[in-house]
Amino acid sequence: MDDRPYLTFSDLAFCNLKRRPVRTAGLIILVAIMSFVLFGGSLITYGLFNGTDALASRLGADLLIVPKGYDQTVEGILLRGEPSAFYMDGAWTEKIAAVEGVRAVSPQLFVASLNASCCAMPIQLIGFEQKTDFVIEPWIRTAYPGDLADGDIVVGGAVSGRVGEAIKFFDRDYRIAAKMEKTGTGFDASIFMNMASARAAAADYSAAGGTPLPAAGAVSSLAVTIDEGFTISGVTGGINSEFGYGSSGIVVVAAKTIVHSVAGGLRAIVTFSAALAALLWFVALLVLAVVFSVVINERKREFGVLRSLGATRRKLQALVFLEAGVVSLTGGGAGVFLAALIIIPFRAYIQDAAAMPYMQPSPGGFVAVTIACLLLSFAVGPLASLFSAVKIGRADAYAVIREGEA
Amino acid sequence: MILTAQALRKQYPRGEQVFYAVDGVSLTLAAGEFVCLTGRSGCGKTTLLNILAGLLTPDAGSVSFAGQEYADLDDKALSRLRNTRLGYITQGQSLLANFTALQNVVLPYALRRRPGNPANRALALLEQMGLGSAAAQYPASLSGGEARRVAIARALLPEPELLIADEPTGDLDGETAAEIMRIFAAIAEQGTAVLMATHDTAAARYGSRILTMRAGRLVKVGGGRGAGT
Ligand SMILES: Nc1ncnc2c1ncn2[C@@H]1O[C@H](COP(=O)(O)OP(=O)(O)OP(=O)(O)O)[C@@H](O)[C@H]1O
Ligand SMILES: [Mg+2]
Repeated sequence: MDDRPYLTFSDLAFCNLKRRPVRTAGLIILVAIMSFVLFGGSLITYGLFNGTDALASRLGADLLIVPKGYDQTVEGILLRGEPSAFYMDGAWTEKIAAVEGVRAVSPQLFVASLNASCCAMPIQLIGFEQKTDFVIEPWIRTAYPGDLADGDIVVGGAVSGRVGEAIKFFDRDYRIAAKMEKTGTGFDASIFMNMASARAAAADYSAAGGTPLPAAGAVSSLAVTIDEGFTISGVTGGINSEFGYGSSGIVVVAAKTIVHSVAGGLRAIVTFSAALAALLWFVALLVLAVVFSVVINERKREFGVLRSLGATRRKLQALVFLEAGVVSLTGGGAGVFLAALIIIPFRAYIQDAAAMPYMQPSPGGFVAVTIACLLLSFAVGPLASLFSAVKIGRADAYAVIREGEA
Repeated sequence: MILTAQALRKQYPRGEQVFYAVDGVSLTLAAGEFVCLTGRSGCGKTTLLNILAGLLTPDAGSVSFAGQEYADLDDKALSRLRNTRLGYITQGQSLLANFTALQNVVLPYALRRRPGNPANRALALLEQMGLGSAAAQYPASLSGGEARRVAIARALLPEPELLIADEPTGDLDGETAAEIMRIFAAIAEQGTAVLMATHDTAAARYGSRILTMRAGRLVKVGGGRGAGT
């Protein structure tokens, strides 16, 4: 600056910020922390909402029927892909289909792999009937339109392995016919196959010491849709009264409650992160406002001199806004950048830690969240200086500069 | 007349009552005049000068600069006037501490852009004030007299038609004060009207006219070094 005699207006702002490096840095860091939490929280919340949406649209069923005591387990499979195997008699498919109000029933077979060649951990194998299935099949169809031959599998988005490669479970090779997009649900860590292949795997599994297979036609869960004009609770009641609630050996789970249990946990996270972000935003606003108004008093003489040299009141306000803008722009930008730097590379870890369906926002959604958070962060500075600007705008402000006034 | 003021009045609340800092002041200033405004501390000099510079709105009365009524001008127009036609050296230290002497002198150009680089003229003015070598110095390393001369150079940068100075010699020794008075006299000789407030009677003698203020009123209009009124 020393060798540049021609001053610009913005030099006035930057010079004042530079004069108090510690204070300026403190304000920038405060805004950065606020925008870090705001952006990080929004991104994670958005990802969780995304995941829940995906789950809701994945579960095209109204009811799920599982063996008694396994209602929590099926939730773990669907939400988190926690491998499990449990069975009930295949005759239930026909029995449930006969209940009044039931439109369609489709069975699934769950098998837990012990050690698959693809994966360090056991993985969920899901068998489904391609002809009747309305939960898995329409989705599989988006990636693999044909019939799945015995030994062919479709893998979830998080399972390693490319199409055409083979994965070995229980000493049997399975060929990857297709790989799905990520959904943020337990399906990402699951492997899908036709019923015959799944039965063979289940037999291998029980031979290897896993859950014993009760009968040849056993199934693990039934997905049920209901007819128009019937309610979920009505049909649930019908099933329970027909087969005896508690004594039938099955339990009816409303698919919605699974989504809701996720949504409930989500609400807590959203509320917490929103409250934290809002609190930090207000703290930043308050601290900045106080500091700026102290600064204004400190700079009475400077403003008076600028007025006497022909600065309009508007120009002085612009000066204060500019300084506030620089602080919030720098801090907001840094906070958002840091949050992105941490969240994007570590999303897989966050996905695990959340223990909830989590799906990274699409690029468009990501940009929207980024812009919204940047705008909110940038707004803090100018908003905080509003009070000071009003003070400057008063008619005779900074007119009288008397001896002894600092 | 470059400056005409009529029946100016400015009041401030003081406790329960109001008190007049400026009370019915009228005056005129012609081009090339060097007028000194004297009076005891607190008599209203700064308040009057602030009104004459368009920084403070009087409660009553009017001011016109080269035929333009202040009452007809908005903040923008008044600011432009100060920025281009009226130099105002405010009371006390008026340099910005973060900027060098030269940067301080070009401040009016930073506030309102106009064609040309003011640096050369600013440097010439500093040299004229005997401060050519101090251009790169910060105010903290300047003496009181030097800082005052930088402020004068800054006020002269836009080639004003009127120069208002509020106690420019207040804290200076006699020798340095006399030097600054000679600078003002020379400025006035070149056609710029100069209005200077001071309570230094020795300094006041340099003016071509002396106005004395007491409790907000002009009480005496006397001749200075040169002619009478
Ligand atoms: N903003 C204000 N509010 C209230 N009173 C004020 C204000 N400005 C000035 N005064 C009062 O008006 C009177 C005149 O003040 P002013 O600064 O004009 O005096 P002055 O002649 O310049 O004094 P000095 O020689 O000490 O600079 C003083 O009594 C002062 O206290
Ligand atoms: Mg004064």
